[in-house]
Amino acid sequence: MAPADPGVVPAVAEQTPPFVNIRLANQFLDVCRAMSLWPLTFGLACCAIEMMAVGMARFDISRFGAEVFRPSPRQSDLMIVAGTVSRKLAPAVVRLYEQMPAPKWVIALGNCAISGGPFYFEGQYGIIEGVDKIIPVDVYVPGCPPRPEGLLEGLFKLQEKITGRRWWPRPAAK
Amino acid sequence: MVLDWLSIAILSALAGGLALAGGPLLLALLLAPKSKGRALKDPYECGMEPHGSAWVRFGVNYYFYALIFLAFDVDVLYLFPVAVYYPSAEGLGAFFAVAVFLAVLGLAVLYFWRKGVFSWPRRIRV
Repeated sequence: MAPADPGVVPAVAEQTPPFVNIRLANQFLDVCRAMSLWPLTFGLACCAIEMMAVGMARFDISRFGAEVFRPSPRQSDLMIVAGTVSRKLAPAVVRLYEQMPAPKWVIALGNCAISGGPFYFEGQYGIIEGVDKIIPVDVYVPGCPPRPEGLLEGLFKLQEKITGRRWWPRPAAK
Repeated sequence: MVLDWLSIAILSALAGGLALAGGPLLLALLLAPKSKGRALKDPYECGMEPHGSAWVRFGVNYYFYALIFLAFDVDVLYLFPVAVYYPSAEGLGAFFAVAVFLAVLGLAVLYFWRKGVFSWPRRIRV
């Protein structure tokens, strides 16, 4: 962990548990949530192009229930941070994350969102070196940019994280 | 019988509609975890911080053009059926009716004239 950066304020990620906290109900709802994740429409750099490709017919993320890209954080429960988080944009990302309603998850897509990627070097001043410095990240999808299949695999991993099991067949090894 | 089957059907459909509308809200209130946070209750959702008050005064310049449109265009629109009916009208009643109508709209034109709208200024003083 790098020393605290005075210019970057991390998001408030606090959540209160549900009022009716029944294990079986939670498991059922988690499956429902995992099968219909609504991502926030929001791309920061070139990884967003891959995210758009995932939404289109060839890769078609709607096969896995996550095609409803919402224009408002109030309606989304998945934030795909697709691209470089510049220091100037970091407060906006934090604010959008804070405005999402409670069961919410984050996928860091691409090397920039994971660690700063190619912009990570000694003395750089413009880039947040990893979006996990400002918001909690659930799944990291490496690549520069990752292939659309990579983002789909990230979605599978997130569904696995939410529900505790993998829902889709693994690709056959060649 | 006051409460026949139709009334019962209507009332049950009403109750069902209320349950379908309010039920999900209630379930979400009970079953969902809640976020807390600084920006959660912000009215503006585009990542930028709202500043200033929402209670600002706008210059409603376009309002004049809307009224002029009413005074000229809609006016003429209503005069078409008048013109069709006018030859077959008897007596001076129709004449006075149209005169009153045009006089009221003429007052609107006078009002705009007084405001200086017809010199087409860049900004109209309200």
